Amino acid sequence: MSDTAATLTQDRQKLEMAALSAPAVIFTVAMIAFPVVYTIWLGFQTFSSTGKQSFAGLANYSKLVSDIEFWHGLWITIALFVLSLTLQLVFGIWLALVLFHARRLPGIVRSLFISPFMMPPVVAGMMWLVILDPSLGAANYILQSFGLPPSDWLASPSLVIPTVALIDSWQWTPYVALIVLGGLQSLPPSVYEAAQIDGASPFKTFQRITLPLLLPTIVTAAILRSVDLLRFFDIIYITTQGGPGNASNTLNIYGFRVGFEFFNIGYASALMLTLTAIVFGAVLAFNRLRSAVAW
Amino acid sequence: MKARMLATHVALPVFAIAAMTAPSRAADFDWMKFKGKTVTFLANNNPVSQALLTYKADFEKLTGMTLKVDGYQEQQMRQRLVTVMNANSDEVDVFMTLPSREGEQFAAAGWYSDLTAMAKNEVAKDYDPNGLSQALLKAATFGGKLTSMPMNIEGPIFYYRTDIFKKCGLEAPKTIKEVEAAAEKIKTCDSTLTPFVSRGLKPAVAYTFSNMLHNIGGSYIANGKSNLCSTKGKEALDTYSRLLRDFGPPGVVNYSFQQISALYRSGRAAMAFESSNELRTVMEGGARLKDTGLLPFPAGDAGQVPTTIGWGMAVSSHSKQPDAAWYFVQWATSPEVQKKMALQGIAPPRPSVANDPEYRKWIDEEPVRKEWQAALDVLATKGSSEVGYPIVANPQSREFIGQAVQDLILKQKPIDQACADADKALDALIALN
Repeated sequence: MSDTAATLTQDRQKLEMAALSAPAVIFTVAMIAFPVVYTIWLGFQTFSSTGKQSFAGLANYSKLVSDIEFWHGLWITIALFVLSLTLQLVFGIWLALVLFHARRLPGIVRSLFISPFMMPPVVAGMMWLVILDPSLGAANYILQSFGLPPSDWLASPSLVIPTVALIDSWQWTPYVALIVLGGLQSLPPSVYEAAQIDGASPFKTFQRITLPLLLPTIVTAAILRSVDLLRFFDIIYITTQGGPGNASNTLNIYGFRVGFEFFNIGYASALMLTLTAIVFGAVLAFNRLRSAVAW
Repeated sequence: MKARMLATHVALPVFAIAAMTAPSRAADFDWMKFKGKTVTFLANNNPVSQALLTYKADFEKLTGMTLKVDGYQEQQMRQRLVTVMNANSDEVDVFMTLPSREGEQFAAAGWYSDLTAMAKNEVAKDYDPNGLSQALLKAATFGGKLTSMPMNIEGPIFYYRTDIFKKCGLEAPKTIKEVEAAAEKIKTCDSTLTPFVSRGLKPAVAYTFSNMLHNIGGSYIANGKSNLCSTKGKEALDTYSRLLRDFGPPGVVNYSFQQISALYRSGRAAMAFESSNELRTVMEGGARLKDTGLLPFPAGDAGQVPTTIGWGMAVSSHSKQPDAAWYFVQWATSPEVQKKMALQGIAPPRPSVANDPEYRKWIDEEPVRKEWQAALDVLATKGSSEVGYPIVANPQSREFIGQAVQDLILKQKPIDQACADADKALDALIALN
């Protein structure tokens, strides 16, 4: 076969491959890029209360800078993120260690430990709303039967964020535990054998060997949870709708209400794009951290 | 300006309703005219639509049409509607709407079909559009266009425990001050009970607070400005929040109808100010059937000005088959169907149904039902449909009312600051109108 004929065949193959992959590429672009581009476009529009639309340039973004509710929502989002992520990582690692060492634990008990994250968040929200009801809920009944004072839980502006963080941690700690457990099971046994020969205590082994070796897995779990936590919506919407007052009004809840209750889709899009940028920023930061701790 | 307002708010609704009295083509009316078509109904999954949809098969048999029901909880229903309407989509033919909440907004956005002509020209012999509550029809008329047909009549009413009142030596309260006095007495008489409960959840507050404000003699707007810091406005804010703070359940700031009904039904509240629609839920299990009294909310300085609203059925302006959609609206709001719904505890927006012997027999079966109907009669005759600010951004206005009430319940602001902050935000909304 001459060089020209071979080149022609190669070109043809390339064309065929392009044609065959085109539907998948078009579908991906349509499903991912279009909504993003559309939201960016909406962010430059303004909508009146009656839905009338006009071009607003950067007005939505300049409004955002001076909007007290935006900064409050950002603060609540970050507070919830830090609190929940800390709880989930600490208890997730602990639960993973328990499951790793308690090898004789019956399967049903293991399944029960990790079952909360299989529950739809709306169901979890409804369940905790009933449990934490200050008048009728089981939580205060239990507290009072131990002689402790009842709590307002979700109805207290100062307690609502810790309470929501606890609910989310109840649901997602097992998920973190499952990831960390996978990491634990893949650690090289030779390192532990060497530590044992050197007479390292269990705590020293955990501190100097397990934790450093697990760090890439922990950071992976942190990335996965961060994305969810920064977009936190369902449990708050079910339990408090951003209240009491605006004490649990995260950016996501605020954006939803601006868009779907007050019909200001343009400003809501600007809010959500800003939140998306924050999520991307967090993921990039964690990715850098993961590269730094990789072994 | 005044003449224009008169034309918009008074004359045009009257013309619209009068137009319905003109001779119709009832004789030519054929329920099977749109046989084979499919009508899509976006429903709020509440007791009203649940009662209506019990008879879905009857509609399909009568018309030969298929009824496709797209049902959601209230907020999710609106979310779906906003998406569909902003996309100019014809996916929804008929949707449920609360004219008191979103009527101005949806009408200004052009989302409602004008039903005036259909209600005049395409009606069955026994439909009787004039038999529907004129007040509710008027409340659903914007710019002279009839935008929805009423499905029910409802409003907040006062539930109280007759046994507790007797035990504590109390009479049924006639005034708001007597409600406060009763709450005070119940607190000492039986400390295990919550003396008074009503809505504290921010977006839900306006529904019950409006009744309090109007009874006290306050108004939302005066001279084009928000009026919460007026003497009457502050009195209403103070009374409502004080009742909930001092006599309400812990966590009342998260209370809406579900929590209120559950607390009262469980026997742990002595007084509840909640929707008339909740009667069925409150009476579930029968524990409260014999020890509950019902009243319109007791009077303030301005007497009794109860809040009266109703869900309506609207035809989407983007529907490709508004005539077929109207047939469904007409069937759902007909005397026959509304009577069936009434027997399930949905208060009828037709006085003729309220006087129907079968319905009266159902009412007379239980004293609590009699009191419920008596309270609804007061709502129908004296009611105001103003829930929140009568502006296009009504839903957003409810947020600021709720915020002011919550600020006071939680003692986060003194009353002057709470009402001033609310007025400032609300003035900005009014200016957008």
